[in-house]
Amino acid sequence: MSARDKYEAVIGLEVHAQLLTSSKMFCSCPNVFGAEPNTKICPVCTGQPGALPVVNRHAIELGVRVGLALNSTIHPVSIFARKNYFYPDLPKGYQISQYEQPFCTGGEVPIQLKDGTQRGVKLTRIHFEEDVGKSTHHGHGTRVDLNRACVPLIEMVSEPDMRTAFEAGQYLRALRNILRYTQVCDGNLEEGNFRCDANISVRLKGAQEFGTKVELKNINSFRYVEKAIDYEIDRQVEMIELGEVIQQQTRGWNAAKGTTELMRLKEGAADYRYFPEPDLAPLEITTDWQNEIRKQLPELPQQKSERFQESYGLSPYDASVLTAAQELAQYFETVTNLSQNAKASANWVMNELLGRLNAASVEIDQSPVSTEHLADLIRRIDSNEISGKIAKTVFEAMFATAKAPETILNEKGLRQISDAKQLEKVIQKVIEANTSQVVEYKNGKTKLLGFFVGQVMKETKGQANPGVLNELVKKLLDSQ
Amino acid sequence: MNTIQELLEGYKKKATQPSTVAGDFLDRIESTNPKFNAYLEVLKEKVIARAKELDGCAGQMENLPLYGIPIAIKDNILVKGWSATAGSKILEGYRSPYTATTVERLEAAGAIVIGKTNCDEFAMGSSNESSAYGVVKNPWDETRVPGGSSGGSAAAVAANLCLGALGTDTGGSIRQPASLCGIVGMKPSYGRVSRFGVVAYASSLDQVGPFGNCVWDNARLLEVMAGFDPRDATTSQSTVGSYTGRLNSKTLNATTIGVARDWLEGVDPEVLKSFEAALATMKAAGAKIVDVAIPHARYGLSTYYILAPSEASSNLARYDGVHYGHRAKGVDSVESLYSRSRGEGFGKEVKLRIMLGTYALSAGYFDAFYTRANQVRALLKKDFEDGFQKCDTIAVPTSPCTAFRIGEKVDDPITMYLSDVFTLPVNLAGLPGISIPCGLDDKKLPIGLQLIGRSYDEASLFSIAHQFEKLRGHFPRAGAK
Amino acid sequence: MLTRQEVLKIAQLARLSLTDAEVAEYQKRLGRVIEYMKDLDSLSLPKGAFVRHVPLDAPRFREDEARQWPDREAIVANAPLAEENQFLLPTVLEKET
Repeated sequence: MSARDKYEAVIGLEVHAQLLTSSKMFCSCPNVFGAEPNTKICPVCTGQPGALPVVNRHAIELGVRVGLALNSTIHPVSIFARKNYFYPDLPKGYQISQYEQPFCTGGEVPIQLKDGTQRGVKLTRIHFEEDVGKSTHHGHGTRVDLNRACVPLIEMVSEPDMRTAFEAGQYLRALRNILRYTQVCDGNLEEGNFRCDANISVRLKGAQEFGTKVELKNINSFRYVEKAIDYEIDRQVEMIELGEVIQQQTRGWNAAKGTTELMRLKEGAADYRYFPEPDLAPLEITTDWQNEIRKQLPELPQQKSERFQESYGLSPYDASVLTAAQELAQYFETVTNLSQNAKASANWVMNELLGRLNAASVEIDQSPVSTEHLADLIRRIDSNEISGKIAKTVFEAMFATAKAPETILNEKGLRQISDAKQLEKVIQKVIEANTSQVVEYKNGKTKLLGFFVGQVMKETKGQANPGVLNELVKKLLDSQ
Repeated sequence: MNTIQELLEGYKKKATQPSTVAGDFLDRIESTNPKFNAYLEVLKEKVIARAKELDGCAGQMENLPLYGIPIAIKDNILVKGWSATAGSKILEGYRSPYTATTVERLEAAGAIVIGKTNCDEFAMGSSNESSAYGVVKNPWDETRVPGGSSGGSAAAVAANLCLGALGTDTGGSIRQPASLCGIVGMKPSYGRVSRFGVVAYASSLDQVGPFGNCVWDNARLLEVMAGFDPRDATTSQSTVGSYTGRLNSKTLNATTIGVARDWLEGVDPEVLKSFEAALATMKAAGAKIVDVAIPHARYGLSTYYILAPSEASSNLARYDGVHYGHRAKGVDSVESLYSRSRGEGFGKEVKLRIMLGTYALSAGYFDAFYTRANQVRALLKKDFEDGFQKCDTIAVPTSPCTAFRIGEKVDDPITMYLSDVFTLPVNLAGLPGISIPCGLDDKKLPIGLQLIGRSYDEASLFSIAHQFEKLRGHFPRAGAK
Repeated sequence: MLTRQEVLKIAQLARLSLTDAEVAEYQKRLGRVIEYMKDLDSLSLPKGAFVRHVPLDAPRFREDEARQWPDREAIVANAPLAEENQFLLPTVLEKET
């Protein structure tokens, strides 16, 4: 038993998600990513004297949408509060957030475990918050760009409910999936519109008390989530095994080195002097409004996956892969509806299309193979018009050229010959050219049938429909 | 032409035009402002250009309720292109990138912004002595303070350096200087006037209000600038209506005036005498005088000095030397940039209040101070609600004393804070209050009567004040011996 | 009177550099005001009293319509130091808060 097996990790995640609104949280500046520095600013988001916040209705709607999707409790009255601290990219010297009374508490995120079963990771709360600006460090100074300041965020705080890096990764993926389904957030860690901090501690298995927690920041890629958390768990276990004391601290993930590094030690809790934001009334979310938002909720990943299993007979695994993104699920469903063959649609999408898309870094909604084309291909296989082998060749060409199967079959001369008259002519020709084999066949060497089929295939460059061909060859030989 | 009402009549009769009037005021400011220090910035060219523009709009006078009226703006209210120091060194050199809603509305009504007036730093003070740009002198006696924090605006009106002015009132900052300078000043109900573009001191208490030489002038200024503003989520969407048109809507024989005797402690005998005389005058005209109880008024000072500094400590965090305003030189870290810029940029009283608020909000003290003060605020609000069951307006002196000598109260903060015992509770309850001159003390210094109104009933308050003003008759101007 | 340590702690939270003389003065002044506020201690207060200062008919929201603010140059123009349209801070940036 290795040292690590004696311990278990306790992991809680705090996720900040930027909301997909047109304008910012408290002012009308456009909420866009990647604009020229300080071009999306106004007196409000730059904290000019005298400027006042006004709440964006749609931001609240999006937050409520997430809360409803996660079966959380939405509170009819919540309070915006000021979190006071000094930082160069925080122009007001306080961040408008929610503290003692967030708009949303409870709920859970369903995650899929390695054995295919599901469990819910409990949420503590979701609250609204405004984003801060961005500072970039240059040799001679630090530049501050306030385009991002005041962009709407929700912060989703999980309970310390996860025990492995895998669970944490699944939680993040599930959460992102739900945010994308509900069109609340792009869920892009790299662009920073979806940000994750992890609180990690370890303790001996069976212990009741939590160990000292370390906050892990800068996990800005899905590729590193598990790696970073695993590294940190190992580091803590190793320290405890060596008899060292873990100090409360914030660490950052260094992707280049593959390690976590100390950012700062936490000496007591920071004193943010929260108090209710006097520029805003309490936030009211009426039951009527909630119901209206609930009505607009789309089918969520879990519901969709269950429906796929039921209606299309997919395995739980296939269903979960195909519902991992709404666009993918939609693609699959369209192909299925057009082709009327769910199993084949699932296989083609999962085994042929996804791998190629990933390799080419192309999103499903940009796929060169359209849903119509793929369904067309599947129909042609199902009607025996082309063989599975030819289909693969055609598919490859479809992916490369975005052309329709029909066009590719014609261009490449891959069309199957099923026409009896056309085939009979060729068979007749082969029989006439191989009279001695015909005699042998007649004398009982029936396995020569394959020889004749092969000859015809050769003549037709493989385009003969094998089923039709077999029957015709047999018929014509027998009639000799 | 000594009032806005008179000047509007003058324009109507074509007796004068905006550029002539503006020129007169500019000349007077040039010659006498050095004496009073009421103005911090007067952009002469801008004023003249604006007045000339208005000369050409004489035809639209009917639709411009403040046509050609020179208005002074307290320097904590933003006017695009003008200074906005809020009386602080930390905002020295700052150019407003936008205009406050209140000023936007005054300008749309034809008013001329004639200058930015001096005030206590970040509106924290009752004497104008906390301004980083020197104290304002009271036009009635230059050795005395004009009151504060809107002392520059009050003095400018009293010294005839403008016809009307805007101030802000968080705990009495319009009414107290109006009282000390012998003019009319009014604080509207919380949420009646937009705070957009007003340098925040204590957001749950701040309101913008007018100064003028008479109630009509105040009513006109307020009816122009009051009302819902989509940029301020704390403004009421209820309609404003005409205040000037309703000045006779409430007659004194239909008015019950409440007096809270338990509140009237520590008042200067001369002030009390004048206050009682004012009550007698109104009683003689048919008003009913009744006793009301505002038992928590005595806790107004403590409550205010917890809540206002708490909000201020947060509101003033933005002055950190990063995005605008004073930045300390030769700092070696961001932390020292913050604390040195703020240490150098803020004055003594502002630092005191920031620290007071920081203390009241900090871990371990929050409940004992901030939460507790809010509970008292609720009780005080209830006191007034109960009081207004019995009366239409509650009368108190505006200030317990008349204008005091410069330097007289700077040593002890509590002594200074007590100047506002009759105004602070009104802000805490969010009610409208108006100060009208009601007499002179034995030193020939003006005394103010404060009338407090029901929430959002500025119309009745103006009307009662107007009736009293008529009974009182002519009130002398500063400098008129 | 507050202790010197108390004043320094508050000043640090508020990011105010104070001279020794100022610290001594604020020990007295802050102490005086905080002492005065003890008059509230005698009051028996109802639990959870909440004062809503915002009028009930104030607007709760604005609609999500993006508008470009026209005078952004005027904002950066007030910066003590700017570079490439960004606010600039001198070097020597230590760790985050």
